[in-house]
Formats: sequence, structure tokens, C-alpha cells
Amino acid sequence: MRDSARFAHILDGLKETLVIWSAELRRAVRSGRAVVLLGLYSMFSALVLLVVGWLASEIRSAVSKQLETAGADANATAQVGEEMRKGVLGFLTSNDTAMMEALAQVPLEVLVVFKITLFFLPAYVALMGFDQLSGEVGPRSMRYLTVRARRSSVLLGKFLSQASLLVGLVLLIDLAIFIYARIANPDFGFADVVLNLLKFWLAAIVFSLAYVSLTTLCSSLFRSPAVSLVFNFILLFVFWLMDTIGRASGDDGKLRFLRYLSPSYYAGDLLHPKLAEFGASGAAYAGFATVFLLGAYAVLRARDL
Amino acid sequence: MSDLAIELFGVSKRFGPKVAVNNVSFSVPRGAVFGLIGPNGAGKTTTFSMMCGYLYPSEGSLKVMDVDPATPGALKGRLGALPQDAVLPPGWETGALLTYWARLSGLAEPEREAREALEQVGLMEAWKVQTQALSHGMAKRAAMAQALMGRPPLVLLDEPTAGLDPRIAAQVRQVIRDMKEKRQTVVVSSHNLQELEELCDAAAILDKGSLAQAGTMSELTGQGSEFRVQIARGDVLIPEIAALADVTDARMEGESVLRVRIRGGVRPEEVISRVVGHLLQHGVLILGVSRGQRLEDRVLQLL
Repeated sequence: MRDSARFAHILDGLKETLVIWSAELRRAVRSGRAVVLLGLYSMFSALVLLVVGWLASEIRSAVSKQLETAGADANATAQVGEEMRKGVLGFLTSNDTAMMEALAQVPLEVLVVFKITLFFLPAYVALMGFDQLSGEVGPRSMRYLTVRARRSSVLLGKFLSQASLLVGLVLLIDLAIFIYARIANPDFGFADVVLNLLKFWLAAIVFSLAYVSLTTLCSSLFRSPAVSLVFNFILLFVFWLMDTIGRASGDDGKLRFLRYLSPSYYAGDLLHPKLAEFGASGAAYAGFATVFLLGAYAVLRARDL
Repeated sequence: MSDLAIELFGVSKRFGPKVAVNNVSFSVPRGAVFGLIGPNGAGKTTTFSMMCGYLYPSEGSLKVMDVDPATPGALKGRLGALPQDAVLPPGWETGALLTYWARLSGLAEPEREAREALEQVGLMEAWKVQTQALSHGMAKRAAMAQALMGRPPLVLLDEPTAGLDPRIAAQVRQVIRDMKEKRQTVVVSSHNLQELEELCDAAAILDKGSLAQAGTMSELTGQGSEFRVQIARGDVLIPEIAALADVTDARMEGESVLRVRIRGGVRPEEVISRVVGHLLQHGVLILGVSRGQRLEDRVLQLL
């Protein structure tokens, strides 16, 4: 193929992707599912926030009472409170000093909610996009698309629409969490709120795009959306298991390498202030996203529709 | 550019151990209306799907508009297809969906194309209707409309009139005739043999995945090689008719139909006139004359 023809071919493919992306995104935003998922995600985050906030407040008050009974003064109470906070922060950041310093201003509730939602975000992503391809291949509506667009454009357009929707939904939820944190903690300054909101949002995006790709792959494998969803959940469980077994094996165990094959292993450094650590984590997620997407394309390209 | 819109060379398609299409070869000339004929399970839809690039052949090769339909983007804007049993995606208004697809096809005025196509199939009232709320017939017409947008040079229609009421089916047939007038190539797969005989210039008859026969409609129905005379009253002298010039065979089918076979390369009207003249001279009263076989009879004979 001549260079100009190849360029026109690529340009046409990009146009198709753009058309599919915008059309699918509009449909998704208007659909009831986006609202239901937003409600589900926000209710879940609110629940976690309330439980964690209540637990933190109960622990603080119990400790204060005990210190008062022991005759400790206000300074000592504050010091114990700070030590407790450091302990929890250390647990959440694997005692990484740089991360602990960087997250010192962030209320603990926000960090805990973030950690818990990262655990459940892949399931949320699966619920959002399990039928993006299988839902079109099964009833054969995909045939209307593939006579007018390349299969690669269909795949990429649908992936991007799911990713865009997720980016928007995560921003909304993160914004709500940070507004709550700002109201509940007056010491949490406006500049810190904005900076950390961007940081947490970016981390969630990098993390979740790999899982959007995984969902795209699962959706490309089967004709039945229900089977795609179940397989997606099975893979999530397998990845979680690989990470857990790999970590449990320690540094010398035979199965220690399993953790490197699981996307969840790389979540720890997503909030790291050092660019190298964040970059390595981001690169790992980009790698997973690429592998899953290429896999989805290989399946879709080779399959009968 | 080849004179052929579609060429199949030894095409086979297997689904596991099942052979759906077996070593099929035929071609479709540009500008023709071509029929794909066969009973259920004959391989029509599989062949159709391979032409559209939905399915990949297991063996053999096919060219559609001079390109391999499996090549990404090769048929964009050159092929309109009405696939059988493909559901319109839910959650769309019909007009918006067709406009989206017209935009995806790269058409210059997507909304106008969508409106014109819906008008062509008489479905403008469905512009704002959600696709999942369309009746079977309306969904079929909406699907037909998407195949017409942009007036592609090749249109493939799989069972375009199945499930439609007679008035709408006639409208769809008229759309096909209009496409023929505009020199578009149309491939129609259908069970309705009367409809195919009326519309098509040529056809391929498939049976159990194999090609039973392919050719022009005249060749398939034997229009140039035989005719039938419906007798009302009188005695037909078969040996005398068989002895007429250019008649190769004459026999009665039942009590009232005389079938006459003609020598190849002879103008049928001359032989028909000769035979009819002979019958009238001998006091035989005639109800009608028909050339060839009905397609339905030919297909039943073949399968």
C-alpha cells in the first residue's frame, strides 16, 4: 500500500472510531444503566465513608476517654491521636515514608474509601461494560456496524466510550468524597483538596483503564453477555488470588512471581509522590491495558460475526 | 474494474464438523439482480454472510467488488447489506440510529440520507420511534433502509420480504426494481420463488451446501428450450408435433398440458407459432401458452 493510501486508511479508521465513540457515549449517558451504576457507586462510596467515619470517630472518642481516665493532658491526647493516624496511614501505604508525607494532609476516611473502592472498581467496570461487544455479536447487530466500519474501529470506539463514561463517573464520585472531606475536616485546605482530588482521580483512571480493557477482552470472547460477565468476574477473582498468593509467598517463595502477573499488585504506588514509582505503576497498568486490548482485537478480528 | 460484482471460487464454510457450504463457485454480473435460492439449510445465509465479510470462508476465495470482503474497510461505501435475523440495537430512535450509521459510512449528509432511505421503504413515521418498539415488519424495513443509504453499487438482501404483509412486500420489490434501473447490483436471498423469478436476471440454486445450478433466469427456467400449451379441447397428435421443424420432443403432461422441447439456438417464437398453428389446424382449442418452466417447478425438479 502506498504511503498516502495508508495514511488515508488510518485517517478513515480514526474517523470511524470517533463516530462510534461519540454515538456510544451519548447512548450510554442517556441510558438508565449509567444512572443506576452512578447511584450504585455513589451509594457504595457513601456507605464506606459513613462506616469508616463512624469507626474513626468511635475509636478517637474511646481513646480520648481512656486517656482522660489515665489523667493525660490535651497535648498527650493529640499526640496519641496523631500516632494512631500515622499507624493507619503506614498500614495503608505499606509504611512508605514518602507516600506518608505526601498524603499527610488527606483525611484518613478519604484514603480508606479510595483503597476500598479500588478493590471494587473492577467489578463496577465489569458491570458497566460486559455487553459492549457480546451484546452486539449475540443478536448480530454488530453486522450493521462492520459493513461500514473496521472491526478495530468498532472495538476502539466502544472501549473509548466505556473509558470516557468511567472517567466522568469516577470524577463525580471523587468530587463528592473530597467535598465531604473538606466539610468534615476544616483543616483540609482548598489547595490540598484540588491537588489531591486530581491525584486520586488520575490514579483511579490509570487503574481502571486496564480493567476497562479486560472487560472489553471478556466481552469479545463470547456471544452471550451473561457468560462474558461471569468470565470477567472469574478473571478478577483469579487476578486477586494471584496477587494474594504471590504476596503470601514472601520474597523467597516459589509462587512469589504470581503477584507480578496481577494488575492489582501495582495499585500500591498509584498515589506515590515520586515520579519513578508512579510511572512504573502507571506503565504496568498501561501494559496490561495494551495486552488486553490487543487480545480483544485479535479475537474480534478472527471471529465470525 | 471487473464486469463481475461478486466472484466465488470453490468456497466452503465449516462450523466444526458441519459443512454449511461446500465448494461453491458462481459469479454475479454488475448491474444484475441475482437470486440465491434454496431450501432451509441450503447455505444461502452462510454464503450471503461470507459475501458481506461477516463470516470467513474455510476454503476457497471470494471477491466482492474486486476486493476480499475480509479486508478491513475494503467494502465501506460500496456495499449495503440487509442481514437476516440481525436485531436493530435497542436504545436508539430509528432516525438517530440511521443517521449514526450514515455518518459512519462517511456519507456527506447523514440525516438527509437517513430520511430518504426511510421514505423509500415507507417508514418515515418511525423516525422518532425507539428501535425496540418497532414491529417485526417495521424493523425489517428500517433494516432495509440502512442498506439503501448512500446508494451503494452493491446491495445484498437476505430474505427482504419475509414476514412482511403483501402491500409492504410489493413496495420492497419495487425498491429492488428501482435499484436495478439505477444499475445497482442486487443479490436477493429468498424462499419466495415467484418473487425471485419476477425480480431476478440470474440466480444460483443451492442445496445442502452445494451449488445445484447457476445461470440466467432464462437458462434456469428453460425459457429458450421448452414451452407448454394448455389444451381446452381436442385431440393432440403428438407424433406430428414431434416431427415439426426444430421440435426435439413433444409429450403430454397430464391430460391437458402439451410440453414441447425446442432445438438449441432456434428462436422460440417461430417454433411456438408453428406448433400452435398445427394445433389450430387440427381443431384443438387452446387456453394458453407459457415458455419454460416456472422457477418453482425447476427448483423442485433439481432438489
